[in-house]
Amino acid sequence: MKCGAGIEARQVNELSINIDPIQAGGKLTGDAIKAIIAYGDGYSVCDNCRKPNRLDCIAKPPIAQFHKEVAAWLNMDDARMMPGARRAFQAVAHTYVKPGDPVLLTSLSHYTEFLAVEEAGGMPCEIPADADHKITPEAAAAKIDEVKKKFGRAPVLALIDHVDYQYGNLHDFFGIAKVAHESDVPVLYNGAYTVGTMPVDGKALGADFVVGSGHKSMAAPAPSGVLAVTAERAKEVFRTTQIEGDVTKRRFGVKEPEMMGCTLMGATLVGMMASFPHVKERVKHFDAELENNRVVMEALLSITGTKILSEYPRRHTLTRVDTTGSFDTIAEAHKNKGYYFSSALNDKGIFGLIPGATRVWKFNTYGITGKQARYLADAFVAVAQENGLPVQ
Amino acid sequence: MILRETAPAHELSEKQKADAARLLENLERQVAALKQEML
Repeated sequence: MKCGAGIEARQVNELSINIDPIQAGGKLTGDAIKAIIAYGDGYSVCDNCRKPNRLDCIAKPPIAQFHKEVAAWLNMDDARMMPGARRAFQAVAHTYVKPGDPVLLTSLSHYTEFLAVEEAGGMPCEIPADADHKITPEAAAAKIDEVKKKFGRAPVLALIDHVDYQYGNLHDFFGIAKVAHESDVPVLYNGAYTVGTMPVDGKALGADFVVGSGHKSMAAPAPSGVLAVTAERAKEVFRTTQIEGDVTKRRFGVKEPEMMGCTLMGATLVGMMASFPHVKERVKHFDAELENNRVVMEALLSITGTKILSEYPRRHTLTRVDTTGSFDTIAEAHKNKGYYFSSALNDKGIFGLIPGATRVWKFNTYGITGKQARYLADAFVAVAQENGLPVQ
Repeated sequence: MILRETAPAHELSEKQKADAARLLENLERQVAALKQEML
């Protein structure tokens, strides 16, 4: 089937088990698929836009109610839907960071957090990870002291990932936020891999801002995301426009400059809304997701020479492994070099590994069924055995 | 969504087969209604 000239219909998730590290949590629900067809037209959600003429205030479809429910679900006071987590980083950084200001990041921060700081003119100050690839409150405290000595003041903002994209490790966000608050540093919780996959309580975690990614972890179309804030911070990040035209004297009501007026619209927003009831339910079952990951990890570790680089036992389904001592030993002599590995998995209906990667690679088992987890585990072992690798 | 849950082998359980049959019957009814109203 084609969607248009040269555009094949994508069937990856219908034909394969998709373990791409960034795609697993963003696979759409059936309701979201219906929503993006129904609301695909450009200004579809604006049919019933009434005063105060701002998208997040629209009552039909129930966008205003959705915003309230998302804020409550994250135990924050207010929320806006964003075109991706990165736009939330940008809005917060632009509000608090002035040129030359120190900003706390980590050595495992996503690049878009750096870009948000760069655009605001801030100076990145990375909390280093320890030998286990963990960011600790102790390291955060040491970095804040270092920043104070270097800049003569504390960082103006901290952006901390609860689960990092490199190892999928779960960091002590609460402890880090506590240390940051002792120096009056507001803290942004980057939940790109947690909001929508596991329970998140923003206030219990000590977050001033909670950021989530719709297309990464909320079963939503791209680009989509959420920025939820405390009441205190809402007045700052969600401030309304004050500008006035010098000729026309026009003013723009309750539009919010950091949101560029109206927030996430159309099919992305309604797709997010349609998946939300399913997402609220699925976060309650993260233990089942970890169990599926355990089944796959045990199979991988049964292949002699395979190592796990993420924390173990796993506390998240995004996992980094090192198969230099197993699958990579076959690559050099194989006629397809390193591509043999991803090709063999593709032949078994597994999608999402970087073609050619046989040393260090990541995968994410989020969203697969127990039966699919066992199939995936067996597939890794079968590829090993077919290539003469010892399995314990 | 059944295809996503059963990939790649698509070996459906009895419940999934029943769900698929229901979905297809519903689709056939909708196609029949469209034929009647439009053609």
